[in-house]
Amino acid sequence: MLEQLLIFTRGGLILWTCKELGNALRGSPIDTLIRSCLLEERSGAASYNYDAPGASYTLKWTFHNELGLVFVAVYQRILHLLYVDDLLSMIKQEFSAIYDPKRTSYNDFDDIFQQLKKEAEARAEEMKKSKQLGKHVNNNLGRKQGQVQNGSVDGGSKKKSGGESGNDGGDGDKSRGRPLENGNLRNNHVGKGEVPAMVNANGKENEASKTGAFDLNKLQKFRSKAAKKTETVVNKVPKEEPNKKITKKNRVWDDSPKESKLDFTDPVSENGEQNISVVAADEGESMMDKEEIISSDSESEEEETRKDSNVDSKKKGWFSSMFQSIAGKANLQKSDLEPALKALKDGLMTKNVAEEIAEKLCESVAASLEGKRLASFTRITSTVQAAMEEALVRILTPRRSIDILRDVHAAKEQGKPYVVVFVGVNGVGKSTNLAKVAYWLLQHNVNVMMAACDTFRSGAVEQLRTHARRLQIPIFEKGYEKDPAIVAKEAIQEASRNGSDVVLVDTAGRMQDNEPLMRTLSKLIYVNSPDLVLFVGEALVGNDAVDQLSKFNQKLGDLSPSPDPRLIDGILLTKFDTIDDKVGAALSMVYISGAPVMFVGCGQSYTDLKKLNVKSIVKALLKLEVSRLMICRS
Amino acid sequence: MDEEKMEKLKIQLQQLLNEAHEFVQKIPPTQINVAIAVVLSTIVLFLIIRLFKRKSSNTIVLTGLSGSGKTVLFYQLRDGSSHLGTVTSMEPNEGTFVLHSELTKNGKVKPVHVVDVPGHSRLRPKLDEFLSQAAGIVFVVDAVEFLPNVRAASEYLYDLLTKASVVKKKIPLLLLCNKVDKVTAHTKDFIRKQLEKEIDKLRASRTALSSADISNEYTLGVPGEAFAFHQCSNKITVAEASGLTSDISQLEQFIREYVKA
Repeated sequence: MLEQLLIFTRGGLILWTCKELGNALRGSPIDTLIRSCLLEERSGAASYNYDAPGASYTLKWTFHNELGLVFVAVYQRILHLLYVDDLLSMIKQEFSAIYDPKRTSYNDFDDIFQQLKKEAEARAEEMKKSKQLGKHVNNNLGRKQGQVQNGSVDGGSKKKSGGESGNDGGDGDKSRGRPLENGNLRNNHVGKGEVPAMVNANGKENEASKTGAFDLNKLQKFRSKAAKKTETVVNKVPKEEPNKKITKKNRVWDDSPKESKLDFTDPVSENGEQNISVVAADEGESMMDKEEIISSDSESEEEETRKDSNVDSKKKGWFSSMFQSIAGKANLQKSDLEPALKALKDGLMTKNVAEEIAEKLCESVAASLEGKRLASFTRITSTVQAAMEEALVRILTPRRSIDILRDVHAAKEQGKPYVVVFVGVNGVGKSTNLAKVAYWLLQHNVNVMMAACDTFRSGAVEQLRTHARRLQIPIFEKGYEKDPAIVAKEAIQEASRNGSDVVLVDTAGRMQDNEPLMRTLSKLIYVNSPDLVLFVGEALVGNDAVDQLSKFNQKLGDLSPSPDPRLIDGILLTKFDTIDDKVGAALSMVYISGAPVMFVGCGQSYTDLKKLNVKSIVKALLKLEVSRLMICRS
Repeated sequence: MDEEKMEKLKIQLQQLLNEAHEFVQKIPPTQINVAIAVVLSTIVLFLIIRLFKRKSSNTIVLTGLSGSGKTVLFYQLRDGSSHLGTVTSMEPNEGTFVLHSELTKNGKVKPVHVVDVPGHSRLRPKLDEFLSQAAGIVFVVDAVEFLPNVRAASEYLYDLLTKASVVKKKIPLLLLCNKVDKVTAHTKDFIRKQLEKEIDKLRASRTALSSADISNEYTLGVPGEAFAFHQCSNKITVAEASGLTSDISQLEQFIREYVKA
């Protein structure tokens, strides 16, 4: 049964709630829905799950974009109500008929709502019955599983599902297990806004069920194993330890005598620091503190290309669109938005935005524009582009303050060092950018200390040692083949002893699929509870950005033994100078993780560290390429 | 040679002047008068329009963190009640109306243009559109949940006070402590002192980044002294209100002070 149904304006005033369903909602699901879903441009998703102590709800919504209204239905998660979408669209139609911007109370809507609800429930019952009749004729496993799933926990039909499962004995366990697994899966993903992962998991489940009965059993076993893994506290020794003990033998290619010395690094003597010149540490002002000059000539280019894209369509289409733009079309339908959105999506993908993200963004923009009246003298393309631009600015604007210096001062007052951990996959530039951040902090009179917790890669400790020497800051190192979590812990203790304000912890690069390595990483984070977990990602990455960030977040959440795990707090985007205007990786990363981009690395020297300029990124993303349009025209 | 040329030019100029003089004299006087009158009246019209523009606008901007009660206050001002309640705003609420409590007043009351800007950090850019026409800003603070949000509130307030449009036009700011009907609400003096302390700290860390932040062109307060609100060039006052119980008299006073009836 529905818990609550609300109608409110986009400005925030609640116009109508159902008085009969008087149960007060626990927690604040509506506010959370708005903050983490609708404002995050995920309004194209099908539903949203909300957990509060003592309740777990699923929320479904629909918009009336012309009048600026939002309709939200809340119900318990364990129920699978089929009629909610139907009901919402019917309510939308009826309410928009009686809506008046000046009115603020709509008590007469109560009766209409009751009527509509009965109609919708009746229709859903009919659909269920017709499905069940079809089941006896068609022995398709997939459909059966689907309807058992739908009918399983809904009030009156419990008896029916019991009867069905009695018919096929083996399926009985599966059917009961299925809702639980769904619930389990959803619990793992809740609060992280990972609706696509959930939808994907359900899709896989359905596909597997269609192939055969024993596959289902295997799938169930795997899933229960995974569930068990997430629950137990695991502290396995990383597997690469025994491998490292086997030292590498030098390869001998021909009969030349063995090279005795291959290590040409300077011996670190007590006076080693004096040999290096002090000038190297001062390369001028870091680019973080310099103003960004946005070129204005790019704007005129953008308008030209936009005109070109409009001429793109056929002559007849052009004429009708001109006519419509002058007259102002009645209401935007999804079919009208599709060509413009497709063009935009392709444009975004050529700018290196991940395909999944571009798809979701376009859906969200479509949801916000559907049913809106076109203002006269505007084309559909320009409306869509304006909406997309607004959405992009909204996503890239950070949700919380990214003022690190303020945080450092706050930690300083409390007397403890501010700990930053750099994580990421192999070769993205963690150590290089760590040195850049240290340089920038030094320029603002902050005492920095480095911690070399990359105890795996050869040369990592020496690399950091060189940086520390050039910047003249202390470095805490324990050599190789040590447990990084313990090294980090001791580094933090050392920092509080010698009065360092910030500790920058360097970790080894690891692939997001490598479970033992991800476990050691989450252990490091759990043991040391850093103030900032910075994910270092390169701007060259394409669709893999989505996979990297979502898996990192997921593993950090799943493998952490604490009930409230630390996730990625910020993103450091590197190698920005290698991409011209294909800046889409920034958008993919911010969208999928919700973390703001705190720094942008744009070169290999100490001063090449910038802040993200939201306006220039949005401009670069929306600029259509002229060459591509020429191909379309011919 | 040059002197001859000069002489010739002089003579030519004089001839032109004479011709022009005769031409002007030939036109009947009414036409000249009408032409002069038209030119003068257009100049006067422009001056009047300019004067009108400089006259105070009637826009009041309600801003503050998300959840501080701006939308409730907006509807209290407009209708006298907050109806069925509010949720997080996704878009600004605008309206030009006579304040609800003044509907019963006799005589002509000037309507006020009130704008309620969403407080969610993702929607901050919307504030800039309305600041340019603001006659007064109301910064709403949640007096109950003040301490957990004091940093975010002070950062927002700092950004607001250092915006070019606010400093140049000296837009007055009212610090409104909302939700005072609750028992655990803090007093307005406490809130004011805490905000001053936080902004003082922000001054230190923000001046470090000042050249990178284009919007923060101005620094606050007197360097070397602790920050206090009375050091700002625009007038800052503190008041209390309660949106849910319609206790908004101090807010209405502020509005009436700066939007002349």
